Amino acid sequence: MDLIRILGIALVTVFASMLIKPVRPEISLIIGLCGGVLILSQTINYLFQILETFTNLVQRTGVNTGLFKTILKIIGIGYLTEFGADACVDAGNTGIASKIVFAGKVIILAMSLPIITNIIQIIVEILP
Amino acid sequence: MGVEIIFKIAAVGILTTVVGQILKQSGKEDIATFSTLAGLIIVLLMVLDLISNLFDKVRNLFGL
Repeated sequence: MDLIRILGIALVTVFASMLIKPVRPEISLIIGLCGGVLILSQTINYLFQILETFTNLVQRTGVNTGLFKTILKIIGIGYLTEFGADACVDAGNTGIASKIVFAGKVIILAMSLPIITNIIQIIVEILP
Repeated sequence: MGVEIIFKIAAVGILTTVVGQILKQSGKEDIATFSTLAGLIIVLLMVLDLISNLFDKVRNLFGL
């Protein structure tokens, strides 16, 4: 099953990175990064199917697809931010990792402004 | 597109270390540093296209 392959890749990455760490620490970091990329590219195929079904559902329900696209972007930003932050934590500099997470949050907030204004307009219309 | 890329990177890492050690023993310090640097660049190039593939997939997927 796919999970077993992912676990296999993860184990091999960890062992290879541990093997190289005392001798060449920077290459062991790159091995860790490469293992992460391999695992993520396995999960991307699942994400394709999930998002296909979601887009079909949204189109059928007639909800404003613009909002759904923004939500998709926010999920993507969260996905990439976590990838970058974990890579930095692996390398040991947690300061940069927290800055990346902070930047991700700011970008997500900036992208979700139209949704917030939408909600407020709806609320104002409902109130008498 | 699986585990062999990790083995390749580990192999390049070990090779550069060995070459560096040999060069150090034989007294050519500066060439040793160049060889380790070259090994690092080769490894980076290997991983680079992998990462760019992933980022392209994510961008198409989420419409970023």
